[in-house]
Amino acid sequence: MENNFSPQQSLDLIQEMISKTKANLGENSIYFLLWGWVTFLAIIGQFFLKVVLGNEHHYLVWLLTIPTAIITIIYSARRHNKHKVKTYIGESMSYLWTGIGISFFILSMIISNSSGGWANAWPFFILMYGLGTFVSGMILKFRPLVIGGVISWVLSLVSVFVAFDYQLLLAAAAILSSYIIPGHLLRSNNK
Amino acid sequence: MFKDLDPILHSQLRLAVMSLLIGVKEAEFTYIKEKTGATAGNLSVQVQKLKDVGYIDVTKQFKDNYPQTLCRVTSAGIKAFEVYVQALQEYIKK
Repeated sequence: MENNFSPQQSLDLIQEMISKTKANLGENSIYFLLWGWVTFLAIIGQFFLKVVLGNEHHYLVWLLTIPTAIITIIYSARRHNKHKVKTYIGESMSYLWTGIGISFFILSMIISNSSGGWANAWPFFILMYGLGTFVSGMILKFRPLVIGGVISWVLSLVSVFVAFDYQLLLAAAAILSSYIIPGHLLRSNNK
Repeated sequence: MFKDLDPILHSQLRLAVMSLLIGVKEAEFTYIKEKTGATAGNLSVQVQKLKDVGYIDVTKQFKDNYPQTLCRVTSAGIKAFEVYVQALQEYIKK
C-alpha cells in the first residue's frame, strides 16, 4: 500500500525532508555577537584608557577575552552534546573558528616576541577577522558576512599606514562591520 | 507501474529517512524519529532494512550512560538515492 505513492509525491517528500535539515543560520549569531561586542568594548576601552586618560596599563582590557573564551568553550560543548545531528556546515564552522582562535593565540605570541611588538599587531588581527568572517559568509551563504570580511581586509591594509591609536579605531570599525552588524542581521534573519 | 524504481527507496518512511540523512554528516535515531514523525517500532524496522542493503551505517554507542543510535548514509546509499531521483524525474517528464 505504501509503495503506491506517485513520483511527484516522492519528490515532494524528499524536498520536505531536506528542508528540515537546513542549517539554522541564527544559531551561529550568538558567537558573532558575543565576540563582536566583547572585542569592540575592549578596543574602545583601550583607546579611551590610552588616548584619553593616558593610562599605561591600557592593554589590560584584553583580559576580558579570557572569560569570553571559557564561556564560548563551555557553551559550544553543551550545544554539541545536545545536538542530535551533525551537519557539514556546523562542522566546517567549528573547525574554521577553532583554527582562527588558535591562530590568534599563536599570532599574539609571535607579536609579543617580535622586535616591532604590538605596534604592528593590528593589521594582522584585522586581517584574521576578515578571513574568518569571509569564509563563514561563504559557508553560510550569508552576504553581510562576506561583505564584512572584505571590509576588514581593506581596513587591515589601511591600518598599515596609520599610527597605533588610529589602528584601534580601524579595528573597532572592522569588528562593527564583520561581527556586530552581520551578527545582528543573522539573528533577525532567524526570527 | 513504477517497476524501475528502487523498491527499497520507494517507500515513504525509508525515503524520508534517506532524504534526511543525505544532507547531514550523521543523525541520531531520535532526531530521525522526530523529523519523520514515525513510531520508534516502525522506524527501527525501516532503518534495519536500509542497513541490510548497505544504504546506511548504523552505530550504537553510549552517551552519558544512555544508548545512542547514530545513522549515516553510505556511498552506496548516495548512489542509489541519485539513481532513484533520476528515475523519478524520468517518470515526471513522461
